[in-house]
Amino acid sequence: MVITLRAGTGQAEIDRIRERAESLGLRTFLTRGESRTIIACVGLVEPAHQELVGGLPGVESVVRISKPWRLAGRAASAGSTIVRAGDGPGAQFGGRELAVVAGPCSVEGMAMLRETALAVRAAGAGMLRGGAFKPRTSPWAFCGLGIEALEFLAEVRRETGLPVVTEVMDTRQVDLVAGHADVLQVGARNMQNFALLQELGRIQRPVLLKRGLAASVSELLLAAEHVLAHGNRDVILCERGIRTFETATRNTLDVAAVPVLKAETHLPVIVDPSHAGGRAELVAPLAFAAVAAGADGLIIEVHPRPAEALSDGEQSLAPDGFAELMARLRPFAEAAGRTLARPAAREAA
Amino acid sequence: MSAGGEARLEGLRAGIARLDESLIALLAERVSLAREVGAEKRAAGLPRLDPAREAAVVRHGTSLARGVGLDEEEVREILWRVVGLCRRAQEEA
Repeated sequence: MVITLRAGTGQAEIDRIRERAESLGLRTFLTRGESRTIIACVGLVEPAHQELVGGLPGVESVVRISKPWRLAGRAASAGSTIVRAGDGPGAQFGGRELAVVAGPCSVEGMAMLRETALAVRAAGAGMLRGGAFKPRTSPWAFCGLGIEALEFLAEVRRETGLPVVTEVMDTRQVDLVAGHADVLQVGARNMQNFALLQELGRIQRPVLLKRGLAASVSELLLAAEHVLAHGNRDVILCERGIRTFETATRNTLDVAAVPVLKAETHLPVIVDPSHAGGRAELVAPLAFAAVAAGADGLIIEVHPRPAEALSDGEQSLAPDGFAELMARLRPFAEAAGRTLARPAAREAA
Repeated sequence: MSAGGEARLEGLRAGIARLDESLIALLAERVSLAREVGAEKRAAGLPRLDPAREAAVVRHGTSLARGVGLDEEEVREILWRVVGLCRRAQEEA
């Protein structure tokens, strides 16, 4: 149930409306937008509740939420959500500036991480990615350096000022990863790991939730709903390609998911063109398509020497390729009504 | 409920209300300190979020909770909320 308030409704009235809804056993979430203030109520809503709340002073309308994603849906928020990962505009998801996260698939060592971070920052990326714990299809593949990689990430974060995005695979690692990184990523294979989602709902850190390789848009939204329902409102959704009959690409980038998600949810939506295409030469065109379709940002794999990468080398860009992509991205960003920080400006800041 | 029972309940509720007032006053004090920390960090050019510090605060509080026999998981959740509240307050500082 969503309560829209009349313009100019005072705090005492808002308090009374929330108290009434909460006394009916509902949980209330208030958001103030530029043009309206709303209270989203979730719980076991009964038809009578609408009337019990509807008559209170300050209430303009009360409507039932018909979508299963009650908190993630547009109806539950007064505007689009901006998720802050760090201090500058380049470290926000969902604002006017495009969020660009770049870095190696896996953290393979301190030197390569530092080298990549400096290169992606110089090219205009606002955040650093890097895997410490890697869920690999085969147990014999490189599974990440674990805690050591987290320490490298924290060190490079200090040196470069770039907020860090890294994956958390297990509920037991949540506090550990939160102790080193700014944004906690849930990988595609864990999108419906509900215990993990609930745990991430309890801590107050941005969560980057990647779409499962065979998950529908509605399943992705409901996965986000698990995090939101447990109290964390900072969720970023990520389209990274889905499994189809097509084998020419690693996955099939579902470009249409971007506008569909943007219409359904107030949460920021970003795209991972590296995993979607699976080949370095596809990263730029898929990134351009994503931004043209309205994505709030990109997460891109960059490795100083892709041919030597321990994982995902074939889809990683070298630093010069990433810099070229960023330069060519600008007109697409501008056409989509977005800004992209100038590399030089970012470097000076 | 007997008159005596009602009086006891009232007394206990009054005690809870006093504690809530203290809790809110303490939270306000914590937020105000966090704003000062925010200003210091900005002056020093440090990022607002210090992941290691937040994790240490939660860990320390959780171990205190264990010492006094409180449910650790519940307290951990509250501490993360408090840490998040104070971090957001630093933005406004």
